Amino acid sequence: MLSIKEYLRPDTLEEAYDLGKMENTLYVSGGLMIASLKSSRLERLVDLKNLGMEEIEDGKRVKIGANVKLSEFMTNPLLSSLNHGFFKKTMKDVGSTQIRNMATVGGSVAFRLGWSDVITALMASKATVELYEGQLNEVSLERYVKEKRRKEIVTAIYIPKNDRFLAFEKFSKSTFDIAMLNVGVGMNIRDDKMSDVTVVVGSRPMISGRIVEVEKFLNDKELSNSIEAAAQLMRDTIKVGGDVRVKAEYRKVLSAALLKKAMRGIGDES
Amino acid sequence: MNVREERSVATSLSSDKNFDVVNTSVEKIDGYALVKGKPVFTDDFDVPDSLIVKILRSPHAHAIVKNVDASKALELSGVACVLTYKDVPRIAFTRAGQGYPEPSPYDTFVLDKKVRYVGDAVAIVAAESEEIARKALKLIKVEYDVLDNIIDYEHAMDENAPIIHDESEISGAYDPKHNIASHYEMHFGDVDEELSKCDVTTEKTFYTPNQSHAMMEPHAAISYFDANGRLTIITSTQVPYHVRRIIKRIFGVESRVIKPRIGGGFGGKQAVHVEAYVTAVTLKTGRPARCIYTRKETMTASNTRHAMRFKIRVGADKDANLRVIDMQGLSNTGAYGEHALTTFMVAGSKTLPLYNKVNAVRFMGDIVYTNTESAGAFRGYGAPQGAFALDCALDELAHKLGMDPVEFKLKNSIREGETSPVFKVMGEGREGVEQIVGSCKIEECAIEGAKLFNWHEKRERQRIEGTKAHGYGVAFAMQGSSIPAIDMGGATIKMNDDGTFNLMIGATDLGTGSDTILAQIAAEALHTSVGKFVVYSSDTDVTPFDKGAYASSTTYVSGNATKRAAERMAREILKAASEITGESVEKLHLENGKVISKSGKSLTYSEIQTQLFYTFKQRQLEVTESFVSEVSPPPYMVTFAEIEIDLETGKVDVMSMLNYVDCGTPINPLLARGQVEGASSQGIGMALYEEHIFDKNGRMVTDDFFTYKVPSRDDIKKITVKFADSYEPTGPFGAKSVSEIGLDTPGPVIANAIFDAVGIRVNRLPIKSEDLYFKLNERGLTP
Amino acid sequence: MKVEFKVNGKMHSVNVEPGEFLLETLRNLGYKSVKHGCDTASCGACSVQLDGKPVLSCRTFTATVNGHEIKTVEGFSKEGELSNIQRALVEEGAVQCGFCIPGLVVTADALLRENPSPTEDEIKGYLNGNLCRCTGYESQTRAILKVAKDSRGEKS
Ligand SMILES: Cc1cc2nc3c(=O)[nH]c(=O)nc-3n(C[C@H](O)[C@H](O)[C@H](O)COP(=O)(O)OP(=O)(O)OC[C@H]3O[C@@H](n4cnc5c(N)ncnc54)[C@H](O)[C@@H]3O)c2cc1C
Repeated sequence: MLSIKEYLRPDTLEEAYDLGKMENTLYVSGGLMIASLKSSRLERLVDLKNLGMEEIEDGKRVKIGANVKLSEFMTNPLLSSLNHGFFKKTMKDVGSTQIRNMATVGGSVAFRLGWSDVITALMASKATVELYEGQLNEVSLERYVKEKRRKEIVTAIYIPKNDRFLAFEKFSKSTFDIAMLNVGVGMNIRDDKMSDVTVVVGSRPMISGRIVEVEKFLNDKELSNSIEAAAQLMRDTIKVGGDVRVKAEYRKVLSAALLKKAMRGIGDES
Repeated sequence: MNVREERSVATSLSSDKNFDVVNTSVEKIDGYALVKGKPVFTDDFDVPDSLIVKILRSPHAHAIVKNVDASKALELSGVACVLTYKDVPRIAFTRAGQGYPEPSPYDTFVLDKKVRYVGDAVAIVAAESEEIARKALKLIKVEYDVLDNIIDYEHAMDENAPIIHDESEISGAYDPKHNIASHYEMHFGDVDEELSKCDVTTEKTFYTPNQSHAMMEPHAAISYFDANGRLTIITSTQVPYHVRRIIKRIFGVESRVIKPRIGGGFGGKQAVHVEAYVTAVTLKTGRPARCIYTRKETMTASNTRHAMRFKIRVGADKDANLRVIDMQGLSNTGAYGEHALTTFMVAGSKTLPLYNKVNAVRFMGDIVYTNTESAGAFRGYGAPQGAFALDCALDELAHKLGMDPVEFKLKNSIREGETSPVFKVMGEGREGVEQIVGSCKIEECAIEGAKLFNWHEKRERQRIEGTKAHGYGVAFAMQGSSIPAIDMGGATIKMNDDGTFNLMIGATDLGTGSDTILAQIAAEALHTSVGKFVVYSSDTDVTPFDKGAYASSTTYVSGNATKRAAERMAREILKAASEITGESVEKLHLENGKVISKSGKSLTYSEIQTQLFYTFKQRQLEVTESFVSEVSPPPYMVTFAEIEIDLETGKVDVMSMLNYVDCGTPINPLLARGQVEGASSQGIGMALYEEHIFDKNGRMVTDDFFTYKVPSRDDIKKITVKFADSYEPTGPFGAKSVSEIGLDTPGPVIANAIFDAVGIRVNRLPIKSEDLYFKLNERGLTP
Repeated sequence: MKVEFKVNGKMHSVNVEPGEFLLETLRNLGYKSVKHGCDTASCGACSVQLDGKPVLSCRTFTATVNGHEIKTVEGFSKEGELSNIQRALVEEGAVQCGFCIPGLVVTADALLRENPSPTEDEIKGYLNGNLCRCTGYESQTRAILKVAKDSRGEKS
């Protein structure tokens, strides 16, 4: 039991946003992370489930409401087919069936977990985030995770609809475990030539971010003969830290190894 | 193929052993209740008016409790009591649930004025609700005098190391002034001389880690006075009788201890954990008290496997005769000496006799105190630690000899009809017993296992391909069946007029299925079916004594007691039938729940007991028998494994594992197989995933399932189990133990397979991908 | 706060604390099959079906289940008859201590509804959040494969 005073279920965004501004108040979506907060100052939870935000809309880009569960990426026909089935494959590595049935896209993005696989995968797809801060705004996911905001409500994310190939690799001790490091790669590829490359590394242990040096290096090169060099560059340039789970040096090794696996995966697929 | 088919071949070979009930996979008798989710675990019992008990635990690894101020907590409405060391008896005891007198030192108090690890108990709080109890914990102010600590056991005996046990009441510890809880040494022959004569030798140091039992049900106990004022303790324990005895020692109070279904133990519940706390509260307040540990408490403040270091030297002549084994060990018992001496001795006594042809053996070492969670009993009980060092060292020796390790280990291992001097020298905490091995099918395990696994063909394969390396390993193991001449189990059988029997056993089913297999043994001896047995187990007021579930003894000791009781009941039934029918006993026999006479008459068990109740020579048929073994027949096992190493990351996956087991007659092949599969996966966890990480203050960082990774479903690829055709003459219907041995081999077999794959000898568990990667890198094996 | 929901078809109307978890509420209501195994959403022993989908009751605020339907393992054995999954688990020796079993049954049931013919890998993947320390998982996988085979009318 969390010792809180109120569990509120507002019906409109405006109401939720106002409530959210109160002292010692947090939003709750799937509740998975909220439930483990030990903060004794927390007094109030503002549940966002009554706000809808459950839509999955097709168009030039795909809109995914913040309350959509991670499991939908595996079962929804549209989401599971995006980018050659990328999300269906990737989400299998996230938590467990039960966790995916509970965790929301909004909560996963908003919590800005350093080890989030979801953020790494979405960032590789160049997703953007729609927020409510008195009005609706949209920012790239990259920017969103870097910036500090106050009490914004994530209302949706947008995934550009395109033919890019995406690959995700996660390294963890056991198969039901958080990442020691994860890598997401995205690109267009034609006749082995790469363009529009994204390379994202998460759980460094800092939050996922794009590795621009490696992206630049890869653009316009041929995939099959740039894997080794890209991996070397990754190892040399990436900024990582050590923690009780993994030493920094090994994170560097992993960043290179996972990049290679991801690129080989794309090579095989394309 | 299901287990029944697999066995049928072997069973048909043992022509003289035609069993009806034994050696069949009958369904577990508590299975229905468990799959229906019936309220059968300690936490499921609602005892009205219970106080909720919580423990205030030390944030320091080593400190004097200068003052405890509970006044604020006591002011909180709903707090019933806060107990500190001043409020509980100052009686030194050991939490270890062992036969009496225990071989573990008396170095523990319910609460003490000194705390010896992060998590050690400081105060007991009882309140009307969980929430109030939690709040009260926060309101207790404790002043500590923080002392220097020892977290790394390799430094426990350093000069100037702080003394962990300096209290005067301690008894049974070897040299507490130097943090040595226990010491042991034995030898025969001269190891140094023998080594000097060897053509090939190997010397290496091996490390095995602490490991958490991680049973799914946390520790739990409820205590209350029953209607007649008898203290009753419902507890998730493997040792109800030892709990009763220890509670009496501490508090001077008699009690009834009931073990309901328990959610796994693996040795972790072979100790007094929660019982003393709830008892203290019930005695103080007169009210029922309930304490359910959190996962964190279960991880940090119960027990862990003893971490051990072994420096091992082995040598052989050029004809591959193993001549000498020398093992010098160091074991970490943590803050208290629970099972300190005995687990250490088992590291030798359950490994060394396997190689009985050597000329010289030495086994010695110290078991030291540190400021970490107390170690305790854990499935394998030292044998996995010893086996890791010994089997890996022999693997290396085989390699140096240019010999197939299967061949080398088999050539030097024990055979049926042989003995080992180690049996006599090393027991558990004292001398052992001489024994001739009555059943040993290690040749079948090794030779047939190698065929099944495709060992010879696989070893011809290319090991490194692209970014992956594959390796094939083998490991040999033995264990024991019971602690001979010490551990006793009893069984009572009562016949009912409806043709059923009550089987009352002290034996403790902790999920293993012992209630079921004991009923099978009784049913076999009484020529009836398991369905005719209503089993009551582990209630100290109702069932006969049994040492409890440990030391691989239930099937063997409690099984023999049950068999004896059933055989005596059979004689009682025949006698009664003879009296009723007037035919001599020789003309009667039991068949299918009836007594049949040569003249063709038959009487059902129900008819007999009905007559004995109401009309004829009236009496209740009931018998009690006990069993203590003179020997501890070892089961044997040979494990083959294939591993894959990702050379880019150093990650190791166990692709398949074959366990070929000689456990005598598997009383229930399906349940026996489950024991081996489960032990294997715990061993894989110990070898690859499970790790205690401490911060600099000695706090365990990996104190939950989020950070302490037991293997999950996707981590376990394929575990195959085969049983050798074996019959142990002293066992109940030929049975030996099967529950622990599966944990002995995963560590060495994985390490050996890694060596086979990439030539790197791993000497430390768990094998971390990080470490392996950098070793691969040093050798230029990373792509 | 007042919350109304169905458990195994039976309506409950209860007053709960705002921060109360479904695990606590269900156990207080007598659904003791729902187990408290860890405190970190990491063991799956508390799994229940929420509108047919397996979720962790230890991380579900009771406040959110108002108007929803919950199924626990108590709802599986109709008139004492075991469901196919329960029966197969017993037959395959997949129940040792039994503490993980209620959570496993409700999750496996959802698996077989979503995917009536799962492969071994699909079974392990779907149930990866249900830890078991006793069995090494092998017998549980065999049991579920068997249910799937039987339901396709194949002989196992
Ligand atoms: C045992 C376990 C294992 C996990 N394993 C993985 C894994 O392998 N890989 C991985 O990527 N993730 C993993 N996760 C994390 C999971 O996927 C989700 O990211 C996480 O649970 C958050 O989602 P939620 O909907 O439950 O958020 P909540 O717990 O409800 O909220 C999380 C935070 O976000 C805020 N918030 C929620 N919704 C919004 C919103 N719409 N707008 C603004 N703020 C909001 C809340 O105030 C809170 O601070 C794991 C979680 C657990 C418990």
